Amino acid sequence: MPEIVIQTRHITKRYGALTAVGDLSLEVYAGEVFGLLGPNGAGKTTSINMLCGLLQPDSGDVLVDGKTITDGDAAVRARVGVCPQNIVLWSHLTCLEQMQFLGEMYGLKGKAARQRSLQLFRDLDLEEKKDKLARTLSGGMQRRLNLAMALVHDPEILVLDEPEAGLDPQSRVLVRDYIKSLAHRKTIILTTHNMDEAERVADRVAIIDHGQLLTVDTPEALKQSIGEGDVLEIELNTDTEQAMKALRPVVAGVSSNNHTLIIRTRNVVEVLPAILDTLHDLDVHPGEVRLRRNSLEDVFISLTGRRLRE
Amino acid sequence: MRSFIVFRKTMREIGRDKWMLGLTLAFAPFFVFLYWLWFQGGSTVYPIAVINQDEGVTLPDGSLYNAGNEVIRAIQAVTYADGRPLLKVVIVSDQAAVETLLRDRGATAYIQIPLDFSRTIQALRAGDRSVTTAVTFGGDLSNTYYMIGANMVLTTVDSYVQGASGQKPLINYIEKPMGASATRTEFETYVPGTLIFSVILLIFLASMTVAREIETGALRRLQLTPMTSFDLLAGVSAALLLVGAASSGLSFLTALALGFHSQGPVWVAFMISVMAGLSVIGLGLVVASLTRSVSQAFVVANFPLGLMMFFSGVIFPMPAVKLFTIAGHVVSPYDFLPPTHAVMALGKILTLGAGLKDVTYEITALLLLSALYFAFGVWFFRRMHLRAA
Repeated sequence: MPEIVIQTRHITKRYGALTAVGDLSLEVYAGEVFGLLGPNGAGKTTSINMLCGLLQPDSGDVLVDGKTITDGDAAVRARVGVCPQNIVLWSHLTCLEQMQFLGEMYGLKGKAARQRSLQLFRDLDLEEKKDKLARTLSGGMQRRLNLAMALVHDPEILVLDEPEAGLDPQSRVLVRDYIKSLAHRKTIILTTHNMDEAERVADRVAIIDHGQLLTVDTPEALKQSIGEGDVLEIELNTDTEQAMKALRPVVAGVSSNNHTLIIRTRNVVEVLPAILDTLHDLDVHPGEVRLRRNSLEDVFISLTGRRLRE
Repeated sequence: MRSFIVFRKTMREIGRDKWMLGLTLAFAPFFVFLYWLWFQGGSTVYPIAVINQDEGVTLPDGSLYNAGNEVIRAIQAVTYADGRPLLKVVIVSDQAAVETLLRDRGATAYIQIPLDFSRTIQALRAGDRSVTTAVTFGGDLSNTYYMIGANMVLTTVDSYVQGASGQKPLINYIEKPMGASATRTEFETYVPGTLIFSVILLIFLASMTVAREIETGALRRLQLTPMTSFDLLAGVSAALLLVGAASSGLSFLTALALGFHSQGPVWVAFMISVMAGLSVIGLGLVVASLTRSVSQAFVVANFPLGLMMFFSGVIFPMPAVKLFTIAGHVVSPYDFLPPTHAVMALGKILTLGAGLKDVTYEITALLLLSALYFAFGVWFFRRMHLRAA
């Protein structure tokens, strides 16, 4: 049985009539990368703010190592490093100064804070910029510095709120590799609306929407839960209802999203001619045809009936 | 220890924000300089419009005597204790010209010397007590300078008439100025208020510095550290206090360089300025507690700034309104504004030559208010921004 580091028990947060997070119960295991996947406004940031004690749930508890986080529990909060979605830097301090400042605020001695900062700069390719004012860095570098600041006190638990948002491709690879390198040494919770990011990095993924937990499991198990095999997407220029009805005797897993037929099957190559013949008989002319592997996006669609970005 | 870390970080930030630092440091000395320019390095000169209708008389020895002209010379001779002119005569021909001049603030008051002015004085000299004449005066009574100008010119005319007619005054009035107030220029009397003004302005820097931490989200980041609200606010306040002390010091130096003479120990006055700074920073923290952004802090800070500017005696002396008495000291509503005590204390030290012992009450009140506002600021800030929402 894996060790539970963070546990939420029926936490709810409301803002007036809006329930940002409703009755959320989760368990995060030591050393895993736990992904919170959901569209914008799903309640991911609210959830992690409650996880790290910045936000008090209206009801329910958050436990870290079995201890309830209460307001002002500095010892528990110091075990968590948070990389916020927005870049939070002191624009008039150099990179090194702000890292040292934050490190010392966490209780590190000056020399230790400096050494730790320099190490993180090396890891995140910021070494040359250490004496530059934070406001003079490019957006990608500021995001990397934002991440470094969450790690300056070497926390056991790292919370990353949309860590790849706003990153250029080069920085995205660097940050993704770095997060992977931390896996199993730290417990990492990351929020994202990018299924690719969640799939590549997370050991387990919780999918939330409208503040409700829809499902939680490993990416593989989640994908298998909606059926094995590949996904064939066929764009039609007409309504999909008639085509779906005609295709059901040919392939079992047929669904649709707007004007796109989504067919889930193991042996696509074998059944593809039959599918195209059926459509031809209906006088339906396929537009773009795409073949891809099952993804977490499909899991989200199967759970909510819509795409993540809709 | 964490307070020191915050202090060091805040000093770095302030030091690198050259515009903000420059304006904060330069504003009050610049204000002192403007006052000095305004009073031309001394005191106000009151222009008096004079309509001299006096026809004069021919004396028995054949010479012409015009008392009106002599009164004008007497008015021109009125000076401050340091010899600078107090009244300036503007000769006008008629009432219409006077009214234009008064409307345009070219004169603070006017006086009309009658046709028979010399004849009347000559008759009084001759012992005729039955004669009389009328000297008309007036002006815009809503002009704050009118009372001083009119009073000074009437006293001068009255004094001339008594001297010229050989009459002894019924009562001699002897003025006994407090301390060195008689020799103080108007510029010097405004210096204490100006010095406190520099401290009051700290409310902007204090509230905006803290509000910036809220607006950028840096406060949320710091909330995750074991930092307490006291650590943060004590560190920020210490840095701001240092800037405030530097601004006060520069203002003192500017005033001294422009001819200001302190009658009491300058170090006590400086210490009081710094203490007032602490209470203003406390108020700045209260302002920051109510806001979420720098622009909001700027807008909200104007309210306490206005109160401190206009109700603490910095600009206008406030009338005593008794709420209650403590150890013989009347406590007014304004006494809850820390600058009130600072202005009083600085006035006593710089103008009247008081020492540390003479301003014990003001220092005690300042210390208590500073502690109160700072403690309330810390508590309120924690309640509004540092608790989990």
